[in-house]
Amino acid sequence: MLVASETDTVNAVPIAPNLFEFSADGAHLIGSRCINCGEVRFPVNDFCPQCCTETTERIALSRRGTLYSFTVQRFRPPPPYRGSENFQPYGVGMIELPEGLRVTTVLDDNNPEGLSVGIEMELVVTKLFEDEVGRDVLGYKFRRVNS
Amino acid sequence: MLGVGLHPFGRFGEKDVIEIGREAVLKAIDDAGLPWQKVGAAYCGTVFAGPMAGNKVLARVGLTGIPIVNVENACASGGSALREAYQSIAGGFCDVALAFGMEKMPKGFIAGNPNDWFAVMGLAVNPQYFALKARWHMATFGTTEEQLVQVSVKNHRNGALNPFAMYRKAMSFEEIAKSQMVNDPLRLLMLCAPNEGGAAVVLCSKEIAKQYTTKLIKLAAIVLDSPLYGTTEVPHISVSARVEAPTVTMTAAQEAYSQSGIGPKDLDLVELQDTDSASEIIYTEELGLCARGEGGKLLDDGATEIHGEIPVNVSGGLLSKGEPLGASALAQVAEVVWQLREEAGPRQVKNARVGLTHVYGALGNCAVSVLHR
Repeated sequence: MLVASETDTVNAVPIAPNLFEFSADGAHLIGSRCINCGEVRFPVNDFCPQCCTETTERIALSRRGTLYSFTVQRFRPPPPYRGSENFQPYGVGMIELPEGLRVTTVLDDNNPEGLSVGIEMELVVTKLFEDEVGRDVLGYKFRRVNS
Repeated sequence: MLGVGLHPFGRFGEKDVIEIGREAVLKAIDDAGLPWQKVGAAYCGTVFAGPMAGNKVLARVGLTGIPIVNVENACASGGSALREAYQSIAGGFCDVALAFGMEKMPKGFIAGNPNDWFAVMGLAVNPQYFALKARWHMATFGTTEEQLVQVSVKNHRNGALNPFAMYRKAMSFEEIAKSQMVNDPLRLLMLCAPNEGGAAVVLCSKEIAKQYTTKLIKLAAIVLDSPLYGTTEVPHISVSARVEAPTVTMTAAQEAYSQSGIGPKDLDLVELQDTDSASEIIYTEELGLCARGEGGKLLDDGATEIHGEIPVNVSGGLLSKGEPLGASALAQVAEVVWQLREEAGPRQVKNARVGLTHVYGALGNCAVSVLHR
């Protein structure tokens, strides 16, 4: 069961609405599934570009998937990227989820030696940076299971 | 294809982008050998030159009252302008048309849209997406880091022979293999640089061409495609793992082969979108120059060298020339035209009779042309 979003608090805000929410089991991404063709997409969208119709329903995406491909961001991206002043390289990957889609994500891991295509990954919702009024801005990342 | 002209690709200080475009247009008109007043329509591809850039260029070539259309289609902008020019002639609206493009792009990696949350998170850096594709290809087909280096060695070696290229300098295996890692497995010298430059081509009907030249070069196909549902484009937040549609390069190439009656085995040279080293290997497969997964082997066999079985990016490609988005496709066309006329000097492909060009841009815009003499 989904419960009301716990991300909009006085001290923390999500980087964008409708990307993730919290259920009793923890955080999960929010996707949409087309009731015609079954295709699942992220972020949630009322439109299905395969059927060309507004025939989607909102679903919770699995918290675990496998690493389809990956890279490491070695330099500080140009604006509007917001990260800490002291830039640390970070992983970027595509996670294949059981619902039949691959989600592009920052990896909570920047050591490419430890990454390989096919390993199991899990979702984390974590602080990205602090906004102008001192609130934690939350985003989603994936990390190795048991890492 | 009556005339082609380039403004060199590189960095030109304070020089105005409109002047860069104007020089390319004047060279193409001069190469065509006909007066500007004969041109009946003009199409300008650019991303960074601002509104009405084509009109500003042509106001300094001559005000003749013709329709001028400005086209923004990312890396496929020049190819899109060429298709419009072709259609205006094929549709009987004019006898002579101009397609041109120019850019003066900011240095460094292209910045993300300030309103995109994924750009704020650090997921809007183009080479990340090329790297994800590269890593997948390596994991799936055994493509090696050494092969990624070799693509860049080849294209820089070719580009050293091209006076219009930005680098014009051969680079050693060591130099490329030890250049800064940008997005693993892609290093700095395996990525093309956004830069400045201009390109223009003059097209006309066959009847007109015969009045001006004996070296007839025919544009046998020009295709512009956007992607089908289920493909993986730059950038992507999620893609389907259930639907595996042919890529936009595959569909555009198939249509170009079908329109022209020319197949991949008939080609004597190919200019393709080597945004990065891995892209060249992947596109040789998607254009049908070899089987899926065999792009690395095609390279290792030397087939894509200037005197190989199917030379790829003899101009130096984007890796050596850099990529001014609106001009890049038309510069590929200019290279093929020079090759088919046997005017390519030290980088001339022997007996070049048929060539193909390919550009691929953001969100999956792809333009493919086939030319023959």
